[in-house]
Amino acid sequence: MGKRTLVPIGPYHPLLEEPEFFKLYCDGEIVKEVVWETGYNHRSIEKICESKTFEQVFYVVERICGICSTSHPFAYANAVESIPGVDVPIRAKYIRTIIGELERIHSHLLWVGLAGHFLGYNTVFMWAWKYREPVLDMFEIITGNRNSYAMFTIGGVRRDIKEEQYPQLEKLLDEFKPKLDLITGAVMDDPVLHARLKGVGVLTAEDIHDFGAVGPVARASGVDIDVRRDDPYAAYDMVDWKVITAQAGDVFAKAEVRLLELYESISIIRQCIEGLKKEKGGEIKAKVKEIPPGIGIGRAEAPRGEVFHFVKSDGSNSPVRHKVRAPSFTCIPTFRRSCVGGTIADAAISLAAVDPCYCCTERMAQVYNYSTGKRIMNAAELIKLSQKRTEEFKTKFLKG
Amino acid sequence: MGLKEKCFKKSLWLFHFSAGSCNNCDIEILDCLTPKFDVERFGMKLVGSVRHADVILVTGIVTRKTRERLKEIYKQAPKPVVIVAIGACACTGGIFASGYNFDGPVDKVVPVNAYIPGCPPKPEAMLAGIMKLLNKI
Amino acid sequence: MDIDKFIDEIKKKFPNEIKQTEVVHTKRLMIYISKEALLKVTEYIFKDLGLRYIIVTAMDSKKGYEIIYHFSDDSTGWIINLNVVLPREKPEIESLTPVVYGTEWIEREIFDLLGITFLNHPNPKRFLFAEDWPEGKYPFRREQEKK
Repeated sequence: MGKRTLVPIGPYHPLLEEPEFFKLYCDGEIVKEVVWETGYNHRSIEKICESKTFEQVFYVVERICGICSTSHPFAYANAVESIPGVDVPIRAKYIRTIIGELERIHSHLLWVGLAGHFLGYNTVFMWAWKYREPVLDMFEIITGNRNSYAMFTIGGVRRDIKEEQYPQLEKLLDEFKPKLDLITGAVMDDPVLHARLKGVGVLTAEDIHDFGAVGPVARASGVDIDVRRDDPYAAYDMVDWKVITAQAGDVFAKAEVRLLELYESISIIRQCIEGLKKEKGGEIKAKVKEIPPGIGIGRAEAPRGEVFHFVKSDGSNSPVRHKVRAPSFTCIPTFRRSCVGGTIADAAISLAAVDPCYCCTERMAQVYNYSTGKRIMNAAELIKLSQKRTEEFKTKFLKG
Repeated sequence: MGLKEKCFKKSLWLFHFSAGSCNNCDIEILDCLTPKFDVERFGMKLVGSVRHADVILVTGIVTRKTRERLKEIYKQAPKPVVIVAIGACACTGGIFASGYNFDGPVDKVVPVNAYIPGCPPKPEAMLAGIMKLLNKI
Repeated sequence: MDIDKFIDEIKKKFPNEIKQTEVVHTKRLMIYISKEALLKVTEYIFKDLGLRYIIVTAMDSKKGYEIIYHFSDDSTGWIINLNVVLPREKPEIESLTPVVYGTEWIEREIFDLLGITFLNHPNPKRFLFAEDWPEGKYPFRREQEKK
């Protein structure tokens, strides 16, 4: 064995948005071993969930990850509703599906943009993020917030999609389609990207099975899994769509799978709008009195893969144990196979190719005023505090 | 013209530090750079090293593991530097304040100059917050 | 995979090791096994049948420390759960990492949170907590919570 050099990436590195620490052990330019250190983002969410009621947990799990902030409530709803066996109204199912698919669109666009950014292809970054904005605006119209939508509740959804919003949604999709063609073209027909991404960071089907990787990472290696089809929930068995797979397993295949999935998402949303039109005036929330003792296991297909929630109830109003498995938790270790043997320059895009989400991975992670020990309850007080501190700073710096 | 005024008069360079956030604030910060909000027209841009930065944007709660790193980053930053806490978690701890790995909101670890609350704050709010801060200096 | 056939087969293959099987909900099967049988049963499920590993859940319950290994059968949507109960004194279990490569992290995480020792783990290091986290403090243990 020759001399090994340690190349640290992180914990705070310009490439990465979140704190994480990769140690690349290299021999010359070839990566020999990857060690990943974690825990920077550990917020003890699973423990916090045990102190909240079943209803409140929705808003905690939503903040596991800001990008896939609907997939966690989705899986949690599936888990909790399976304990008493709630029949979710059809209209609520359609609304849930629309939110879930809109989220997939914005999340995949985000990834395409960031992947372009990592490669120095900033045109794609700017395009993808520009066309992501209308989707976020649509979220604001439907749910009232750009991220963290707070749409889900036990037995249904909290807000209806109003009739006057259907044309807005349809218009969004109509306008988005040509832009998606543009981005897809910019990625798929670019000879530089072909040369840069093909054969880089290859994962075989055995690697996927060994690590239990899911989502687009698995599908790009020819593993045909998708929770939406295999264990249908919400409205996915009521609409017509297909699972996208690719065979190569390299970074290019992953990009291809994600981009083509966007077309499926558009088609799913269109069918759901039709479904909503038929289910006019339907209920959006089933009545659930209490959660009996028992265990519930729920899954949902997040943009990054399968989200898994395990909830144990003892008949009280909060869960006894709540376990969350985010897709990145099993996808990130595949770095060991995809980066090793490649060059340092390839490592960055191989790491980025699984769309890693560290907040999800370290998900386990009230508002207090530390000076008085009192709870600050409302935004007005928060703003007041903010203004006070800003004022203090101003006087201190201007006079000091 | 004082030193502080001189330092913050021209283009501000931002360094983004995610202490223990849910990614929401972080992507909204990145959103500020993209065509719709385009913060670069004010001369602001994200830089890779804190040694080049005038402003540190901190998002998320400070966990036990990031506390030392945040102090280190603050030490490395050229002074004077402005620290902005972005999002409810960075301001107060938010929903995560009861967790066992929580080590205080940002102002318990380093001095914070401005707070931008929200979960997540909209890009407009971030722009407004930073502009307000600049006008006060 | 037909689930009744699967239950019959696994019972036939491991007559002494499997204590009980129970269908929890639609498409959720719980198999209670003894601690010693874990490696054998997992090898059969993961390698021979080719089910996908999802995750491991550990919790402090009335029975002791309960560990649940979740596996997914993607052709039918069934989730097969292997349930092992460990005593409160000296909780130890064989590591699954030699069989299922992906369990390395979650086992380290469970050690951090519950203090369960995984024997023959290839890399038994601290996973989530900072260097200054006190030894012997496990946030998910109930008795520590009461104190």
